[in-house]
Amino acid sequence: MYASRNIRLCNKDCVCLFVCPTGATDTETGQIDRLTCVDGCRICVDACPSHAIHLVVEHYPEPGPKSPSLTEAMIALCERKSEQERTAIAIADVASTAGAARLARALARSARILAEDCAREAGYMIPQCDATRELLGRIATDQDGEIRAFAEQLRGVTALKR
Amino acid sequence: MPDTTGLSAVFSNLSKAADKQQLFDTAERFSKLSTLFPGAGPGEPTIESLRAEVARDVERDYPALQAAGTEASDRGVLRAVKWGEKVTTAQRALIDRYTAKGDQLLDEKKLFVCEACGFIFLGDEPPEICPVCKAPSARFSTVK
Repeated sequence: MYASRNIRLCNKDCVCLFVCPTGATDTETGQIDRLTCVDGCRICVDACPSHAIHLVVEHYPEPGPKSPSLTEAMIALCERKSEQERTAIAIADVASTAGAARLARALARSARILAEDCAREAGYMIPQCDATRELLGRIATDQDGEIRAFAEQLRGVTALKR
Repeated sequence: MPDTTGLSAVFSNLSKAADKQQLFDTAERFSKLSTLFPGAGPGEPTIESLRAEVARDVERDYPALQAAGTEASDRGVLRAVKWGEKVTTAQRALIDRYTAKGDQLLDEKKLFVCEACGFIFLGDEPPEICPVCKAPSARFSTVK
């Protein structure tokens, strides 16, 4: 686990510079240097008075089991929200006024965020979980061309980080 | 498993999850994969048809999911259903206000969307705290 700074919370107290044993926190970009940061050290995390540093976790647990019927219902809602997003985009494309187009784009963005939340609660929470691996496996088998290539690459990535 | 209709959102969500883990290459790949599933063409592109779809979710689907989530004691689903119901109810109210007042409703006003829960806010500045999910104002994006 490596330290990462949230630049929005950082008040430039700079206590992290005092405590870092390797100087990894002292960088021009404001980001902590991953190569010199000591795995699991966390001294800067605890020392920062602004709570602006956290550890980036590398190994994630498998999410808890889901009821199959509930999973299906959340997928169905994800699909409906996705359809609503497309309807809203189509409305924006043919809108006769700038206001109508702007409203439709807001509705489209909102529908996308709702669809993503449904996907999350249907079990596709993180890349490194069985549901995601299974889905990418199916796509790598069923599809071809660019889609298959991406699915295969991503399967490799999500399999490694376990 | 979702059919191709929902895959774009599944993958854009995984892109966000990878981004939060600072796996930026993986996030970029999921994001590209997301764009390769545009889905079938939409139904009738009118605000009335969208209003009908949104109203059906509020009246039929969220109450059913609320009951199913309670039955299964699935806190994640119950949280998503609660937020989704509020956001969708607000969508319906906004469509109704627009249908009544037309472009006048939006004159001199900005539209903001909470990137955490999807809540749409019409005003001069985003709210300090999202009324649905309590995310801070920095989580709101402005609709251009």
